[in-house]
Amino acid sequence: MSAALRALARYENDPRAVLQVLRAIQLEQHGISAADQAAVAGALGLPRTRVQALIDFYSYLHDRHNGNYELYLSDSITDRMLGNGRTAAVLRQELHLDANGRSPNGQVTLTMASCTGLCERGPALLANGHAIQRVDAARARRIAGLIAAGVPVEDWPGDWKAIDDIIERKGPLLDERITPGGAIERAMTLGPRQALAEIGASGLRGCGGAGFPTHRKWEFCRDADADQRFVVCNADEGEPGTFKDRALLKGYAGELLEGMAACAVTVGATIGYIYLRHEYEFLRPRLQEQIEARRAAGLLGRNLLGHHGTHFDVEIYMGAGSYVCGEESALLESLEGKRGIPRIRPPFPVTRGLWGKPTVVNNVETLCYAAGILEHGAAFTGHTGGEPGWKLLSISGDCARPGIYELQLGTPVSAILDACGAQDAQAIQVGGPGGTLIAASEADRRLSFEDLNTGGSFMVFDATRDLLDVATNFTHFFAHESCGFCTPCRVGTKLMAQMADKIADGHGARLDLDQIHRLNRVMTQASHCGLGQRAAVPIIEAFEKFPASFQRRMEDVEYKPAFDVEAAIERSRAIAREEETAR
Amino acid sequence: MSQTIEIDGVTVAFVEGQTIMQAAEDAGIFIPHLCYHTDYSANASCKLCTCRVNGRQVSSCSTLAASGQIVESNTEALNSERRVLTQMLFVEGNHHCPSCEQSGNCVLQNMAHRLEMTALTFPNFYPGRPTDASHPDILLNRDRCIYCELCVRASHETDQKDVFCISGRAENKSLAVNSPTGLLADSDFTADDAAADVCPVGALIRKREGFATPIGEREYDLHPGQAARIRPPTLPPLPPLAGRKIRIATCSLAGCFGCHMSLLDIDERLIDLVEWVQFDRTPLRDPKDFEADCDIGLIEGGVCNTENVETLRAFRKRCKVLIAVGACAINGGVPSMRNGIDVRELLETSYVDGLGVDNPGIPTDPELPHILENVSPIHEVVKVDYFLPGCPPPADAFWHILDSIVREAQPDLPYDLMHFD
Repeated sequence: MSAALRALARYENDPRAVLQVLRAIQLEQHGISAADQAAVAGALGLPRTRVQALIDFYSYLHDRHNGNYELYLSDSITDRMLGNGRTAAVLRQELHLDANGRSPNGQVTLTMASCTGLCERGPALLANGHAIQRVDAARARRIAGLIAAGVPVEDWPGDWKAIDDIIERKGPLLDERITPGGAIERAMTLGPRQALAEIGASGLRGCGGAGFPTHRKWEFCRDADADQRFVVCNADEGEPGTFKDRALLKGYAGELLEGMAACAVTVGATIGYIYLRHEYEFLRPRLQEQIEARRAAGLLGRNLLGHHGTHFDVEIYMGAGSYVCGEESALLESLEGKRGIPRIRPPFPVTRGLWGKPTVVNNVETLCYAAGILEHGAAFTGHTGGEPGWKLLSISGDCARPGIYELQLGTPVSAILDACGAQDAQAIQVGGPGGTLIAASEADRRLSFEDLNTGGSFMVFDATRDLLDVATNFTHFFAHESCGFCTPCRVGTKLMAQMADKIADGHGARLDLDQIHRLNRVMTQASHCGLGQRAAVPIIEAFEKFPASFQRRMEDVEYKPAFDVEAAIERSRAIAREEETAR
Repeated sequence: MSQTIEIDGVTVAFVEGQTIMQAAEDAGIFIPHLCYHTDYSANASCKLCTCRVNGRQVSSCSTLAASGQIVESNTEALNSERRVLTQMLFVEGNHHCPSCEQSGNCVLQNMAHRLEMTALTFPNFYPGRPTDASHPDILLNRDRCIYCELCVRASHETDQKDVFCISGRAENKSLAVNSPTGLLADSDFTADDAAADVCPVGALIRKREGFATPIGEREYDLHPGQAARIRPPTLPPLPPLAGRKIRIATCSLAGCFGCHMSLLDIDERLIDLVEWVQFDRTPLRDPKDFEADCDIGLIEGGVCNTENVETLRAFRKRCKVLIAVGACAINGGVPSMRNGIDVRELLETSYVDGLGVDNPGIPTDPELPHILENVSPIHEVVKVDYFLPGCPPPADAFWHILDSIVREAQPDLPYDLMHFD
């Protein structure tokens, strides 16, 4: 049986699972041929363009055969700081890769990828879906050797793949004070209204970055008129520099599943999905085991905790490589097997979500905290009595102790820098490329929804780093990840990337900065979602706060050509030279 | 009792379930748009219809009207954002009005007019997307597609065929055709589909009918909408003339001299012109170099080769105000249709394999200019102060601009003098 037929059979020819089917084929045979596409479209009763559209949209699906070794090198700024440039150079040289990253026999393909989530242990490589950490030049050489010898990725050294989370500081959540079934039981005892009140009293707000009050989201969903509701866990942790959900999914899956079930009990949902990013495939088997263990223990499935008539079960759905799918309505589109385009809102998912039904979409961390709050009461997060809540940070970049930190909201940046051993910080990007860049001189600013809001990303740059390089990396990230739906983001991110390169390459002028501001105004005001709205900000903040980075590479002139005129002549000069010699 | 909203100070009634766009349309208020169409569901992707509603910017085609909303639409701030969005769509595709069958019927072109867009200012992308000429009746030119998704919606909602689909993302986004080969000819598409007539630009056009209605007599030639007068961007100040003649230089780079011909079309007014204009370096006279610094340089044509670069830089150096004249100078025009073809292929086609080539061989004489990889608009090579679109701009437009300069007034062109074709 072909990979396509096996995948179709596994998902019972369900058209809603089209993305899962395509992903399974890709992982098994490293490409989805035209014949497979036709087979999938035929079996699922979909137009074949629907299938093609998905393959073209998601980074990890391809219509060409990528060879037996499909390699993706993470190209986030933290990977760059850890030397992924040398890693790429070694792999290209040793494996004789061409400009497109393909080996002469077509058996290896190397592609640069958006952040794969191993920010504190880069350079990170995804090899046939396996996450490989700390791929420095030496490890890259060994990888090239293993590939040359035809060793399957499954048999590569285990310690390369052992992602042992570094938990540097524990708060209430990471202290593992949650007992299986505790939150579900108490949510049932309290009943929906009181359970919502408990969450409300805790002050819990969405931990994915938006900070929407969790109890209100749950309440809207509960109050929406519907015959079915869903709970969706957003485990599409794609914001560069964020890896705290990775740690939770690995070490705290019980808390997550408890939180999902308690949420379901409260809002009246019967089905839950964990939308797990493709890059976290290595977390999936263990997560699946835990789901099954909880089913066996009566913590999922029919008759939760023996309460007759209750029902809630969870399924894992995998992403296929798209940053936008971290936005909740785009995530739902992806769950429905479509391209991840953010929906027109309102209506919001709480009233019209998955398959048009009221849906709570919460971040992994939010659901974990909710479990703690429902089991132990609002005081779990310490928010009552005027105390702020807690937040998980993923700290990476130039510091002695990168890792996961559970910190109280309100903690000043200076204390965070001390905690992680950042001696010589020049700047910090809080909240990822879509967040805020602050200078070390602003270290009295605080981690909070009002001041420095973050979904968990905290990247430190020391004095040796050039902030223009950082901003240029972020700008390209946005251009690569734009879903392309709306004009300001699709065209604007590309123009911004061109402009950033122009300045970084030493061809920038004052009028380019004017253009950047002009673009930013339109992108901020008119973009369909947060990606486009924030995409011009890194360059602008870097210029405002670190003008020296720009001045080093810009003469003080009003205008410079849009392209390198000399370079544009070179090709025809070379042809004339060749012809002259040939005569 | 009917409910109302306020759009730019006008009270507008709406019925429950109507969007702001629909309410505005019913009231005869025009909100610029490209992807909205009365017959189809809202897409909200072009973002031209972005309005300010109670202080927040939203897409008016997808936002429900609600009692008491204060909507701002026709403001300079919003129109300037819309102008940038229109410029974005122009540079993203290959929108060469002079060679496009849709010119005059094109909604994108009309938006550019309405929004007083005279130049692109951003670098052009010059995509080389595949054109599909397989269908007997309809041509699909993807380089002109603006991703409004109207054909996608028409084919889905009205024709119920799903012939079209948006594929990919970011700059790899594309309009895909649902057929085994991906070609329109092998799809269910027919010329009487609603999707065949819905394209607002020249991406989907009927074959053999391109010029059935002559340019100048088309929809927006006759009904331009509100764009009765165009205020081009502010002309930079010139040194005081104090009675002396304005010194003007002109040149044609990669162009056809059509703009120069059009300038000469001011006919007997030339006699008036020489009273207050002194021509310096120009093909209309003999001198091959500047005799003095000039007030104004009029540049026709795009930048195709090293000689063009040199000439253009000299003009920038010697002219106080540089004006890009015509489609080629502004966005590369017809010569830029070679962009995307490799330089060697271009040279071989012209000098080796071309029809009627005698004594084949790529010329190597050092006296000859080298061609650039792309033909570019002049604003990508030097700073340009002012743009006069048209292919060519009409004689009256030249006259109007020069006359404004002499009177030291800002130009204010009537609609029929400002066009892209």
